[in-house]
Amino acid sequence: MKKKILSTLVCLTVATASIVGCGSTAAGTETAADADAQTTEKAVEAKTSSEEVKEETKQETSSDDKITLSIYTQYADDDTKVPYDYAVEQLAEAYPNVELNLIVQAQDDGQTLKTLAATGQLPDIYQASTDLINTFRESNQIMVLNDVAEKTGFIDKLYDANKDLAYAEDGNIYAFPFSGQEYVLWYYNKALFEENNLEVPKTYEDLLNCVETFTQSGIIPLALFGQEGWNTAAAYDVIATRYVAGGIKALDEGSASITDDGYVSAAKKLEELVAAGLFQKDATTTNYDQASEKFLSGEAAMFINGQWYIEDATKALGDDVDWMFYPAEDEAAYEAGKAVFSGGGSASGFAVNPDSENAELAAEVAEFITEKYCEAKVMYRHNPLVAIDTGKEPDSEYPAMMQKLSDTLPSITSTTKFTWGLTNSTFNDGIQSESQGLVSGQFTADEFIQDLEDIME
Amino acid sequence: MKKYMGNKLAVFLFVLPALAIFIIFDFIPILQVFAYSFTDWNGLTIPNFTGLKNYIELFSDRVFYTSNRNQIIFAVVITIYQMLFATIFAITISDKKMKGRKFLRVAYFIPVILSVTVVCQLWSAILSGEGLLNKLFEAGGLDFSQNWLGDRYKAIYVIAFVNAWQWMGYQFALIVAGIKSIPSDYYEAARIDGCSNVKAHLKITIPLLAETYKFCLIISLTGGIKAFTEMNILTGGGPNKSTFTLTYMMYNAAFKKSDYGYGLAAASIMVIECMLVMLVINFIFREKNQLKEEEKSRRKRNA
Repeated sequence: MKKKILSTLVCLTVATASIVGCGSTAAGTETAADADAQTTEKAVEAKTSSEEVKEETKQETSSDDKITLSIYTQYADDDTKVPYDYAVEQLAEAYPNVELNLIVQAQDDGQTLKTLAATGQLPDIYQASTDLINTFRESNQIMVLNDVAEKTGFIDKLYDANKDLAYAEDGNIYAFPFSGQEYVLWYYNKALFEENNLEVPKTYEDLLNCVETFTQSGIIPLALFGQEGWNTAAAYDVIATRYVAGGIKALDEGSASITDDGYVSAAKKLEELVAAGLFQKDATTTNYDQASEKFLSGEAAMFINGQWYIEDATKALGDDVDWMFYPAEDEAAYEAGKAVFSGGGSASGFAVNPDSENAELAAEVAEFITEKYCEAKVMYRHNPLVAIDTGKEPDSEYPAMMQKLSDTLPSITSTTKFTWGLTNSTFNDGIQSESQGLVSGQFTADEFIQDLEDIME
Repeated sequence: MKKYMGNKLAVFLFVLPALAIFIIFDFIPILQVFAYSFTDWNGLTIPNFTGLKNYIELFSDRVFYTSNRNQIIFAVVITIYQMLFATIFAITISDKKMKGRKFLRVAYFIPVILSVTVVCQLWSAILSGEGLLNKLFEAGGLDFSQNWLGDRYKAIYVIAFVNAWQWMGYQFALIVAGIKSIPSDYYEAARIDGCSNVKAHLKITIPLLAETYKFCLIISLTGGIKAFTEMNILTGGGPNKSTFTLTYMMYNAAFKKSDYGYGLAAASIMVIECMLVMLVINFIFREKNQLKEEEKSRRKRNA
């Protein structure tokens, strides 16, 4: 009996020691913190006689008053770094008491942000896509910015063509968009076309001829970064828009069906082009860097990307690079299709966490940053396709490709959407994976149509 | 020891921390997975009960069957590869006469300590369209070059190989430890009876490693069912979800479509599959143990 009591006591002692041991770290930390505080106090007391120290104290006080706002945004390449750095610089002048704590956005389809939202740790300001806006609207984790937009005059600054981009489906503003209408461009290497005595393809027949010639010369006809679903969806969309102006946007909205003739024809055409060798064999496992490298090094003759790539392509290839209107079934369709572009704007931009301690200030700062992003894009990235009229001029002439696009803009009558602008997440997931299958050459056009039909059902 | 084990309070107190951690971090979340799989939860809002809707959709989803097929292929490939090579290598280096056994023991285990990302990047560079493997075939004038990771049917075998290559060392270490625990007297006795090395391992080593193999089998098969990382890095689940597994389905539904309810239905099926595999393995090995005991008792009775 005694032994039982003894062993129980031993167990209790061990358990108590463990609990106290766990707790002692915190207590120790507190003690250490207290000690540090006392030491600091003593040090400050010792210096109070000095005027210089008073100055320091003042500075410390003013720096203590600074408000730090966390911001979750892209900061990966020049197109995202330059605007952010410029915005931070401008913010320091306009809001000296505000500091930004940058959290670099992960290329993870918003999963980091959703996880932060689920655990109540959303940053004060975050870059939100249409999908995220719709998700966070349901859980009240995105601030309605109507009043701020009105107070700051943001709505008035928006270009007419971009007014719709600011508003969500329910008519409220949840994010300040900085990108205007964006476009999928079909880039090509002029030098390679000339070397191979090829004209810019207007029809699919021309395109097939180019594919054959380039393949024989050991050149990849078109480098696709099919690891990213949006790029394969864009590859399908540039063909679909030659048959149905609405492209994937109409499918997303439900105003068209994948079994419509135009979409079926587009799928079959893409299947034919893939079989002919339009894309590199490992297109579906190629990432952006690899595909871009192939194009910029002259290993590939064509490339599909957004208009934001103009700056980088021009830097690397100079006058040897240009973009073409998408080829079509025949010349008449080609001419008619010049007014229809894949891509478009989306209701995405800087949003604010309504539960932020400084939500009102964060909203103002978000609007300010959005403006500065637009300015930087115009001035330093030579991209006039921003959401608002900045009144700024580029620091040098627009690249030829951007000038050509600017000249084309007035004649554009219809655009579709990038995948991040699609509102139906099921369709979005489906079109990205199914188009990847089609591009891989492993899935037939019939499977593509059938699967998408099933998905939409 | 018996006295301490007889003290139920002491036993309870010692078990309590581990039990609490298991209940809080494993058992309750698993229950939650099952509960939420019957809802339309999007990860943020209050879930609404939707009955069997998610399961009905899941069972009519083409990707569900592709995922299950991939899991079986993956599990079978890694199990055969790892257990076969781990056994051969372990038996080889357990021979004290062998030269370089210390080096090989370390070399076989090196892939295990590497990050999965590093291993996948390494193999990605080897297996890509213009990667080392295809270049070697080209240099050798062989017509075997192909899109290893972009093939709808073959990619899963390639991914399984990458996983098997990395984790073989782990099973190797377990088997080496198991072999070391076998008394050398058995082998000496076998040798005196004129038994060859190969026969000695077949009759002594492998049967005595039954428990080790049981553990290896469980980790290989459940590892196959849970597979995700390799396909995520090497193929992104593509082309067109042809290298998906149930874990990937869960990830895709939850994080890309914000459909946690559907994703958790896939996760529930995966948990059930893992449990079933473990039950079957335990059943198979328990049967053998029971048979052995029955045999022993029969011999005793006869004697």
